[in-house]
Amino acid sequence: MRKSWLVAASTYRRRVRSTAFLLLTFGIPAMMVIAGVIGFITAIGGDVRRIGYVDQTGELAPVDSVVVDNRTLHLSSYADEGAARLALDSGEIGGYLVIPESYLREGSPGARPTYYGEESPGARLEEGMTAFMRRALLPDAPEWALDRLDNPSDITYVARQTGERVAQGPALVVRVAMPAVLAMVFVLSVFASANQMGSAVVREKEQRAMEMVVTSISAQELVVGKVLGMTLLTATQVAVWLLGAMIGLGLALSGALQLQDLSIPWSALLWAALLGIPGYFLYAVIGAGLGVIAGDKQSARQLSGMLGFIGMGPLYVLGAIIDNLGGPLGVALTLFPLTAPTIALFRMTLSEVPTWQLGASLVIILITLAVSVWFVARIFRAAMLIYGQTLRPRQILQALREA
Amino acid sequence: MTEPTVALDVQNVSKTYAAVRAVDDLSFTVRKGEIFGLLGPNGAGKTTTIRMALDIIKPNGGAISILGGPMTEEKKSRIGYLPEERGLYDDMTLWDTLLFLGQLKGLSGATARERAEVYLREVELWDARERKIEALSQGMNQKAQFVAGTMHEPELLIIDEPFSGLDPVNTRLIKGLLLRMRDQGTAIIMSTHQMQRVEEMCERILLIDRGERVLYGPLEEVRQQFAANAVEVELRGEVDEVPGVRRISRHDGAYRMTLEAGVQPEALLQTLVDMPEVTVERFERVQRSLDDIFVQVVGREVDDGEEGA
Repeated sequence: MRKSWLVAASTYRRRVRSTAFLLLTFGIPAMMVIAGVIGFITAIGGDVRRIGYVDQTGELAPVDSVVVDNRTLHLSSYADEGAARLALDSGEIGGYLVIPESYLREGSPGARPTYYGEESPGARLEEGMTAFMRRALLPDAPEWALDRLDNPSDITYVARQTGERVAQGPALVVRVAMPAVLAMVFVLSVFASANQMGSAVVREKEQRAMEMVVTSISAQELVVGKVLGMTLLTATQVAVWLLGAMIGLGLALSGALQLQDLSIPWSALLWAALLGIPGYFLYAVIGAGLGVIAGDKQSARQLSGMLGFIGMGPLYVLGAIIDNLGGPLGVALTLFPLTAPTIALFRMTLSEVPTWQLGASLVIILITLAVSVWFVARIFRAAMLIYGQTLRPRQILQALREA
Repeated sequence: MTEPTVALDVQNVSKTYAAVRAVDDLSFTVRKGEIFGLLGPNGAGKTTTIRMALDIIKPNGGAISILGGPMTEEKKSRIGYLPEERGLYDDMTLWDTLLFLGQLKGLSGATARERAEVYLREVELWDARERKIEALSQGMNQKAQFVAGTMHEPELLIIDEPFSGLDPVNTRLIKGLLLRMRDQGTAIIMSTHQMQRVEEMCERILLIDRGERVLYGPLEEVRQQFAANAVEVELRGEVDEVPGVRRISRHDGAYRMTLEAGVQPEALLQTLVDMPEVTVERFERVQRSLDDIFVQVVGREVDDGEEGA
């Protein structure tokens, strides 16, 4: 195993410094963070501190200020739109709200307030205007009643079987979406890995170093080392992407999600790790085998593309599976080793998946992985010295016999 | 119990690819402390033989014993191999490459660093240690590969065309290192088309053609076996005819005399000594070059192209 780690460390060090890897790894999260910054800027929307309003109904209670997120939004009342516009033009206010005369009249559902301002209002200003309207409509209501009105159905859900409690809102969305997000991360990792693994092996063959290396290490150790190295590389890449996504998402939500509200679906996380890690290794080992079979980088890309297509496969049949979560197709793809991690996690998003199916899936993946390592090591040993040609099935069989 | 002196023992080994018999009933041994020349034209089966010896491919028949038995993972650290189709990782520095390959051969990190420094200084690559392999010249690359294949100080070294791409200075350097390894007890199998190097360095040779053994044994015996029935003589005085000599020609002031069938050089020497008009100053049996022997046996010219099998 020491030699496998040496190969893994060498593979990792060589590729982690390459320009292509650095561009791909840091380019995507950089875009995510930029998108988050844009979302954040949009959310704060210029941070207007004072607006005016024109109450054409004449029935709303006057309001001087409201507090949103510990920030005070000041309000100035104007008799008509002309006065409000002058105040806006002079910079006295950041915008003004016109509440039409028909706003409180029965049978005028289309009569909505209109906001005039230099910039589009951000999320905080929108909340401020909503708070102002609530207070103006119900000037005598106690604060707690206004809070209730703000979110009248803040429900906490309790799972019948596990007793797990999840609050409504973004926390619930995270709770439900996390397995699906993990499934997508798996698909993304497999897709990236399938492409990189084949090319890495072809490159190794092209550099003619293989024959020297195999007289120092067994084919099995070499395959395991290569796969470990590439896995560490993909893990680095995915970790950077996830970090970028979290920063970007955090900035975009800008405090909409409180950490203490989060309910982590530990069961889904556990199964994601149990199925995802060996499932990923399985793809990497097959990718390495395809790299040996491919004679050049172009053939390697074609063969890896097919593997990536299989990795993405569950997404194409997702509709059919969602229609019948516990149906034969869903169960079959949960047990099939190449689709198991993705399908199991997607099913966990929407329903309970029987533990026996998850356990059986894990056993099948592990057996397939062991067989694949053995199989690929044999091809590796015999076919790595055949340069520049894609192996035909007959040659693969011969290689297996002779290894 | 004495240590076995045979480093590699190949007995009746055969290998067939589809309908092609690459190696046919081949037997030979390589001893510790000798440089053994493995010769043959392109496609003769040399590379297949080496790969079978190293257990990279399996023979169809026969038996191979390496360092006293079948190949094992442990023995890989006692063997050095520089194949014909060799290369290093372009995107690694020379230093990292040597540490990686040295540790794969079982050296600890500290020993690998020590040996890498010693060997790099010896082949005059110490100043290039931080360069990437792709930035090395062909000659530097060849020397780097040599260091990579030998820094773990193997008991058996198999080396294919060790001098290709090297200038005379570096050729002499590598030759010196190989001879030193031999003197330290390493068995060296050298496969090359440079017959002059074989004549200079090898104690014994094996010549194979179409997978079969055609010449095998000590180099001197092989040369005796193929010695021309001719002598080169320097004389004071002139001769036109000599009894027992079929043809006389002049080369650089010396006579080359081709003997009639059945006449031995010793008899000719006696005849010349008995001739009063001449005095023998030098008498030497004409040795044929290994290159000539190779061409005669194989029946075709040697070229330096790649070997297929």
